[in-house]
Amino acid sequence: MSTTSTSEEVKDNTSREDEGDAPNTKDEDKSNENLLECNICLDTAKDAVVSLCGHLFCWPCLHQWLETRPNRPVCPVCKAAISREKVVPLYGRGSKKQEDPRNKVPPRPAGQRTEPDNNFSGFGFGDGGFHMSFGIGAFPFGFFTSTFNFGEPRPNMPPHGTPQNMEEQFLSKVFLWLALIFIAWLLLA
Amino acid sequence: MANIAAQRIKREFKEVIKSEEVAKCAIKLELVDDNYTELRGEIAGPPDTAYEGGNFLLEIKVPETYPFNPPKVRFMTRIWHPNISSVTGAICLDILKDQWAAAMTLRTVLLSLQALLSAAEPDDPQDAVVARQYKENLEMFKLTARHWTNVYAGGPNVNPECDEKIKRLIDMGIEEHQARVALSSYNWDLERATEQLFS
Repeated sequence: MSTTSTSEEVKDNTSREDEGDAPNTKDEDKSNENLLECNICLDTAKDAVVSLCGHLFCWPCLHQWLETRPNRPVCPVCKAAISREKVVPLYGRGSKKQEDPRNKVPPRPAGQRTEPDNNFSGFGFGDGGFHMSFGIGAFPFGFFTSTFNFGEPRPNMPPHGTPQNMEEQFLSKVFLWLALIFIAWLLLA
Repeated sequence: MANIAAQRIKREFKEVIKSEEVAKCAIKLELVDDNYTELRGEIAGPPDTAYEGGNFLLEIKVPETYPFNPPKVRFMTRIWHPNISSVTGAICLDILKDQWAAAMTLRTVLLSLQALLSAAEPDDPQDAVVARQYKENLEMFKLTARHWTNVYAGGPNVNPECDEKIKRLIDMGIEEHQARVALSSYNWDLERATEQLFS
């Protein structure tokens, strides 16, 4: 056993010298290699995936583990909950084969790409108040004015107690009374 | 499939050989056959327990589906412990059953077994007789475990009283191990052990 490992070490050293990577000490190299080992087969991870708890596996290894115990899917290292959907594949740059690993059996789950937030908040309902306006005017023009406010988000209410808030409250009351007077006038006239 | 099992055992074997526990003589691992399906483990009895000073041999069988399924482990050395059968050496330990995880290794299994020797779980017993004694008469349990460690695992604590009682039963024509089991099961009460053996 020990003889084979020494011969491997010797070979490793010579190949590194050929490449001219002298400054790396052997220990550092070793620990770096261990970092990329699959936690199941203990070999360098192929078709690597990483769990949400941060543990690295070959996808075929992890797939087989999940198949072995379908009713208790836990991380083989820390026993956190794990599932096919909740692992992230790792795509390195320097892979020689360009084929899609997902075409292989078992298929590796796809990466999860979340869209960035774009501040679209529905039809103005989401921000706390339903908001509709209408107007009265001659036919073609009135059609344009009496619409729902689609798309445009309503500016948020200013915080309570600020002068702006008081002003807005006052204005909305004034317009409400104006509208009521207007309707009353229409009915009476 | 068998390939991944063999590959892994090879790596684990190297890992155990290099580990500091081996350097401290706390655990040992040997190959039994060349295709890495059967191994022989050895753990030292933990200090400050009834098993101190003893060396316990383990039979380890690696299934083809390793590491997705746990290795089959059994004590070859006879031992008096609530979670280990005094008859077959079968072990009741969750990680060797449903709590197994593929990232565990032979090294962690051996260390877990060593931990089991220092922390028995009498409420989840493998050997009901031992577990009852552990719960009802802890001192008697320790005495018995120490005696078994001395006789079967090479422990240092000789108990002349136990040896004397066993000798009495041997003189009556009882086989030594049978006599030891009977006396151990009846809290070293010679009369009750004799009664049970001849009933």
